[in-house]
Amino acid sequence: MSVRVLNPNAEVLNKSAALHMNINAAKGLQDVLKSNLGPKGTIKMLVGGAGDIKLTKDGNTLLKEMQIQNPTAIMIARTAVAQDDISGDGTTSTVIFIGELMKQAERCIDEGMHPRVLVDGFEIAKKATLQFLEKFKTPVVMGDEPDKETLKMVARTTLRTKLYEDLADQLTDIVVNSVLCVRKPEEAIDLFMVEIMHMRHKFDVDTRLVEGLVLDHGSRHPDMKRRAENCHILTCNVSLEYEKSEINAGFFYSNAEQREAMVAAERRSVDERVRKIIELKNKVCNGTEDNFVVINQKGIDPPSLDLLARAGIVALRRAKRRNMERLVLACGGEAVNSVDDLTPDCLGWAGLVYEHVLGEEKYTFVENVKHPNSCTILIKGPNDHTIAQIKDAVRDGLRAVKNTIEDGAVVRGAGAFEVAARQHLVNEVKKTIKGRAQLGVQAFADALLIVPKTLAENSGLDTQDVIISLTGEHDNGNVVGLNQHTGDPIDPQMEGIFDNYAVKRQIINSGPVIASQLLLVDEVIRAGRNMRKPS
Amino acid sequence: PSFLGFIFSSSSRLLRLRSGRNHSSTIRKSSMGLQTQPYGIQGMLKEGHKHLSGLDEAVVKNIDACKQLSTITRTSLGPNGMNKMVINHLDKLFVTSDTATIVNELEIQHPAAKILVLAGKAQQEEIGDGANLVVSLAGEHLQGAEELIRMGLHPSDIIIGYTKASNKAVEILEGLVEEGSDTMDVRNKDEVILRMKAAVASKQYGQEDILCPLIADACIQVCPKNPMNFNVDNVRVAKLLGGGLRNCTTVRGMVLKGDTVGSIKKIEKAKVVVIAGGVDTTATETKGTVLIHSAEQLENYAKTEEAKVEELIKAVADSGAKVIVSGAAVGEMALHFCERYKIMVLKIGSKFELRRFCRTTGAIALLKLGSAVNPDDLGYVDSISVEEIGGARVTVVRNEQGGNSVTTVLLRASTDSILDDLERAVDDGVNTYKALCRDSRIVPGAAATEIELARKLKEFSFTETGLDQYAIAKFGESFEMVPKTLAENAGLNAMEIISSLYAEHSSGNVRVGIDLQEGACKDVSTLNIWDLYVTKFHALKYAADAVCTVLRVDQIIMSKPAGGPGRRDQPAGMDNED
Repeated sequence: MSVRVLNPNAEVLNKSAALHMNINAAKGLQDVLKSNLGPKGTIKMLVGGAGDIKLTKDGNTLLKEMQIQNPTAIMIARTAVAQDDISGDGTTSTVIFIGELMKQAERCIDEGMHPRVLVDGFEIAKKATLQFLEKFKTPVVMGDEPDKETLKMVARTTLRTKLYEDLADQLTDIVVNSVLCVRKPEEAIDLFMVEIMHMRHKFDVDTRLVEGLVLDHGSRHPDMKRRAENCHILTCNVSLEYEKSEINAGFFYSNAEQREAMVAAERRSVDERVRKIIELKNKVCNGTEDNFVVINQKGIDPPSLDLLARAGIVALRRAKRRNMERLVLACGGEAVNSVDDLTPDCLGWAGLVYEHVLGEEKYTFVENVKHPNSCTILIKGPNDHTIAQIKDAVRDGLRAVKNTIEDGAVVRGAGAFEVAARQHLVNEVKKTIKGRAQLGVQAFADALLIVPKTLAENSGLDTQDVIISLTGEHDNGNVVGLNQHTGDPIDPQMEGIFDNYAVKRQIINSGPVIASQLLLVDEVIRAGRNMRKPS
Repeated sequence: PSFLGFIFSSSSRLLRLRSGRNHSSTIRKSSMGLQTQPYGIQGMLKEGHKHLSGLDEAVVKNIDACKQLSTITRTSLGPNGMNKMVINHLDKLFVTSDTATIVNELEIQHPAAKILVLAGKAQQEEIGDGANLVVSLAGEHLQGAEELIRMGLHPSDIIIGYTKASNKAVEILEGLVEEGSDTMDVRNKDEVILRMKAAVASKQYGQEDILCPLIADACIQVCPKNPMNFNVDNVRVAKLLGGGLRNCTTVRGMVLKGDTVGSIKKIEKAKVVVIAGGVDTTATETKGTVLIHSAEQLENYAKTEEAKVEELIKAVADSGAKVIVSGAAVGEMALHFCERYKIMVLKIGSKFELRRFCRTTGAIALLKLGSAVNPDDLGYVDSISVEEIGGARVTVVRNEQGGNSVTTVLLRASTDSILDDLERAVDDGVNTYKALCRDSRIVPGAAATEIELARKLKEFSFTETGLDQYAIAKFGESFEMVPKTLAENAGLNAMEIISSLYAEHSSGNVRVGIDLQEGACKDVSTLNIWDLYVTKFHALKYAADAVCTVLRVDQIIMSKPAGGPGRRDQPAGMDNED
């Protein structure tokens, strides 16, 4: 072999060996992720190097944490991760779809077909399926007031595949409401404006939506109020602590009085800034019961804290940068970078600010704001792995709602789309094609069925029965999906099972591409050291 | 507690997860090149990763590990529970029957068992008591689940059944709440003791009659106007070696370890000034240099320095304060002037301790010496005195009238480990008080509640028609574990006790529990053993949650254990005779 001559350390796989290695890897990965799919999928437990536990049903998390080494598997995993980046969901579907494409291809290739012909068939089928998707999707009107019911259905469909039913249903409302909260007309939705905060406390069903903000730190002065109502909020990025000068400076003094003067002078500029804030406070709160809260991105040193506390101001220091933006959106007002020209207009307003202490950790709640354009999903759970699991699910749920609003369309789920597309390909498209590419289309069509098949398998149903009854219904012109509890066909529209259009499109787009690439590989060369063996 | 179970944190089988090493090395051998790639997931993972899946490999093994954990904790359940001697990786010795401590120090590595541990910890954080119940109950539920799996039930059916059963159990539990217990006066010592007794007795059996009044006293003293805001942190524990349980007392105020700085050791009815910074000459943030040209200036400099410090101390003395409490170092010169003005100087190093001191005395901490001393900022103490208790010098700060904010329980015992265990009992008692401030409802103790749950759930299972009825029945049966263990630990015949409990309960006496001293079944109202509803509720929920989580997992993927200093194989001091 030529490469061996050039580099004696290189490893080479040829022709069918290379192909089979790729196919095996794809099938292997499919096997792992298969049991994740759908609401009845099982949970995987990931144990990290330090013994930390992670429980997940999310394909994306799983692929990230698994640390796969096989090159083919990495390729597939990357596609799946890209799927998640673009649409926020559908990783598991992508992986099993690719795996199934490879499996179908293997059968054809074993019968003597050339991969190139298959790939051509895939390409035709992909185009046809995408066209079919355009026809198949259910448009949703997204005017000024999006249809909340539809959004809830989409969110519920996604969340139920990640969490158990009761919790998923509860989160559905939270997720939909939070997206609608940050949504501004005529602008793209910035999900970043939804803060996701967690507390290790109580049960997972205590997770709630806070219209306002939750910060994971508290005031650092014992005499500041723990609970304040009717608060004016100053969001600022001003250093309220003594900062050493950049040049190397020193003092010379010859008696203690002079030194005292130095000490006072050192602090003067900081004190001046604090004084300005206090002045503003006195201006807006004078004669009222109102409170004043300062949330600073930079530090506040103990002497300044003390001054503020004595003036009755609640001050929080070192707020996170992302929260500064959210605070302004939630409470109104604007973030100031200097205290020189403070006006009451800079201030935001919140009905209630209070501190919650959990063991060592402090949380500050800024609630009852007037017109929130930012909100917090406060996740609670008794332990870290529950919290992490909910967090991942919430993120996916948010993405699903956002996608729906942006797409203006949804796709009927529960396997309905896959079965419909397969029937369309076999009954209509295949007949219009001449030659061997037909087989490629057939393989593609059969591969689509993996989704309903896996759904049935995970529910402990008979795969063959399910597929036959589903395709039968479709041939009669009914669009049906799979009822996971009984195995009977159901109408996804009636049950409210909807998937994202963007997710489905992305799967159809990326799956065949990667499968084609892998099929067209005829030689695998690994030069240099064997990566499997540690050097 | 005269028997001790021995557990060495590195030798127990449960902790050794790494037995899988041999397994992965065989794979390494067979996967030398591309040609012989193993099929499936194992071949795709990084070196050292392990992948377990399926019913036998994952679920049953997980259950097994959890069962082993609960066998350890079970024997510590209840007042007659055995103590465990745990030696942790730092060679620190623990002798306790407090499960939270045991599982914490055991450093469980098995992932499934860890879920149980986390559930126990959650209970500990939420309520502060009942961790043992969580872990033992979860273990028992899992044992039931294993039997069901062997019978042929699918884990998902079991989960459905268990979820149903736990919801039903909560319902039943609510029905068992003693009437009229939902409102109580949290300042009534007898009522508090009634609710606290069972929790304390399970840690320090036989001594609860001494400890409970102490804890109750301490808690009631610091209970704020709105009992919901009760802060556990306000009840302090001071452990002093020597003496015995009879010497334990409560002090209104604080007990600080260590001596005062100056020579004044006792002071009464005095005002206090608290200074967060040090008591010393002030310094600039930027480095300063004293500029001196002649010997005269040098002398003058020292004088101005002295004058300055005197001025500062005098200002304090003029304000009426007799005590200075410093949060940082006390300078020699400042101390000299304090002595001269007859001011007591106390140093409290910890920031939190200083805050507590402020709360006790009602003082507001000044930032540094020299800031204007406002009369409102001064605190007040009835007395501060240095006392010698059991060879250790402690400073006792008392504030009888106004000081309802911090109370200290002074514990005396002969060894450190007994002191630690007493402290845990006090913590449990205080946490129970906190819980009862929020929800004072009580349910019968002494296993009466558990038997009733078991009985009612069994009845409930008959009304179900699906496969889940088996799971519900098993879930109920698991509650028998509590009376069984209580009886076993007390050396009674468990089967006899359980059957007579069932008999009593089905004839309508739902408050009948076990009297461990006499070994008979009695109405708990005569025994006065009550448990808090919230403790039971959370324990039940956390246990059920953990069990369902363990059952839901069907695949485990483990990465290579991270490196780090390997632990020694032998716990030091035990087997090495050299």
